[in-house]
Amino acid sequence: MISAAPSFAANAEPAAERVLTVRNLRAYYQTRYFGISREVRAVDGVSLHVDRNEIYGLAGESSCGKTTLIKTIVRAIRPPLTVVGGSVTFNFTGRDRDIYALNRRELENIRWRHLSYILQGSMNVLNPVRRVRHSFVDFAYRHMKKPMPEFLQLIESHLDRVRLESTVLDAYPHELSGGMRQRVTIALASICRPDFIIADEPTTALDVVVQKDVLTMLREVQREIRSSMILVTHDIGVHANVTDRLGIMYAGRLVEEGRTVDVIRNPRHPYTSHLVSSLPRIGDVTQKRGLEGAPPNLANPPLGCRFHPRCPLAMETCRAEHPPMVDVTPGHRVACWVTAPPKQPVAVQ
Amino acid sequence: MTAPLLDVDHVGMIYGLGGLLRRRTLRAVDDVSLRLEAGKPEILAIIGESGSGKTTLARMILNLVKPTGGAIHFLGADVTRIRTNRERMAFMRQVQPIFQNPFEAFNPLKRIDRYLFISARRFAGARGRIDIEAKADKALHQVGLSLAEVKGRFPHELSGGQLQRIAIARALISAPSLIVADEPVSMVDASLRMSIVNLFKSLRDELKVSIVYITHDLATAYYISDRVLIMQRGKAVESGNARAVLDNPQHPYSILLKNAVLSPEDAGKSMTPVGAAQNSSVI
Repeated sequence: MISAAPSFAANAEPAAERVLTVRNLRAYYQTRYFGISREVRAVDGVSLHVDRNEIYGLAGESSCGKTTLIKTIVRAIRPPLTVVGGSVTFNFTGRDRDIYALNRRELENIRWRHLSYILQGSMNVLNPVRRVRHSFVDFAYRHMKKPMPEFLQLIESHLDRVRLESTVLDAYPHELSGGMRQRVTIALASICRPDFIIADEPTTALDVVVQKDVLTMLREVQREIRSSMILVTHDIGVHANVTDRLGIMYAGRLVEEGRTVDVIRNPRHPYTSHLVSSLPRIGDVTQKRGLEGAPPNLANPPLGCRFHPRCPLAMETCRAEHPPMVDVTPGHRVACWVTAPPKQPVAVQ
Repeated sequence: MTAPLLDVDHVGMIYGLGGLLRRRTLRAVDDVSLRLEAGKPEILAIIGESGSGKTTLARMILNLVKPTGGAIHFLGADVTRIRTNRERMAFMRQVQPIFQNPFEAFNPLKRIDRYLFISARRFAGARGRIDIEAKADKALHQVGLSLAEVKGRFPHELSGGQLQRIAIARALISAPSLIVADEPVSMVDASLRMSIVNLFKSLRDELKVSIVYITHDLATAYYISDRVLIMQRGKAVESGNARAVLDNPQHPYSILLKNAVLSPEDAGKSMTPVGAAQNSSVI
């Protein structure tokens, strides 16, 4: 097997402060019923890093492992999802800590204070029978270490930041529109000024006008508190407007990663090229094509490059061996035998 | 002159909210007119944000709810006057829906072919297993699938794109002249979205089906539709040739919508808010 050597160490900007480092992470869903065991390789050898004050985007179609990857990163996993290998290291207090080496208490202290997570379907995460004010107290009060009146005042000034009036605090979630609930969730996730925010499809259920406003606010809040962020969405248009760097996932693996501008303007992996070129645009009347075939079954992924059954450029090597991540330009990594062949022989494990 | 395929004439829909006290009314659709000519298949896109009344309009065209004002004529007949089962079946044979979420449209406990077979029996008059399967297979071939791939499968065994194709195939069994598709691609992956959108194009060109395509995605509307109707708070604010309207929108709301589209071309530029978030008071 060829090792997908983490090549980011060489091209890191010296000034950037690394907050999250993921090394060769593998997380499988392992089930065993009536003696038949099944293993779904949802995340299979992902390496990435996120710097301070940076928004890292994660794109890919459904069931490519985006949500599993970030669940694994925040250690919000439960069986059958199991981490099989690799490491997730956060640097919040000037010291590298592996999130899987923390005990329960340390994990609780990190969560919300340093690391917050906007769940998928975040319109529906607020407790329907609690007023918004109580949700804030439930989530954030114990992490703030402030007296209650001061805490409530802080919530109000923070809501102002996402352009919500303080009257929403007395409302129940069902009284608010989707966009307002989304903004409440963003306020909740950022109230403790965490070092790291993870947002999983934060705007998917919203219409275009509200989506743009919510994203603008999310970005403003992030820039103001200088936190790092991972933004997961399959909408390339959102990535183009919000993220600094972009990783494209396909079938549990990262296939391309680089500055968002580079990845979108100059995609190297055939999957990324397809994803970008198939998007319809206003003012463009050329015929667009959908991608033929279906994503592979991750319980039994194809040998070699996982994209080869649908790839128009596939050649013999693609069917046999998994391509390593190779730098095409500094900071722009691609895993493809055809468009980014390795320059020197790769180390064989 | 023959009657138009669909003539929506100044329809309105008013919902009453609240009890006896504090009674309020909500004009979900307010005086909207549109017309699709018979014998000239086209795709009409209805665009608007959430709560603009797009879905209510679609439900009225499908005769699922009765308008509180105005009238809807399908091939010259008033759809609200449908009384007998025979009339209703005849109408449903001609007008078929496709819904937003393919995962919710099908019962997860029932095999997917069942929907095709029931449609073939009730709408296409197929009798006997061979005839029914032939009709289902033909419809599936029109969407790029075959009965062999689908038969006996449950919805969870198929991808969202496949399920949406099956939903379209089901709608095609009765050879309808109008399909009302309510956000048919918003739950489908980006990589599969274009194949569904292209399928609508080929339905129009090859099967001569007119399509009412409801969406909030201006880019796909620009790509496939012939005409657009932009709705805001129940009112039609702008309509006309799709390319002309979306290239050069006139109404302030249409301009707002166009500016809110996040395009991949914007990579590297900084984003400016569109300013719809000001009305953030509690409803």
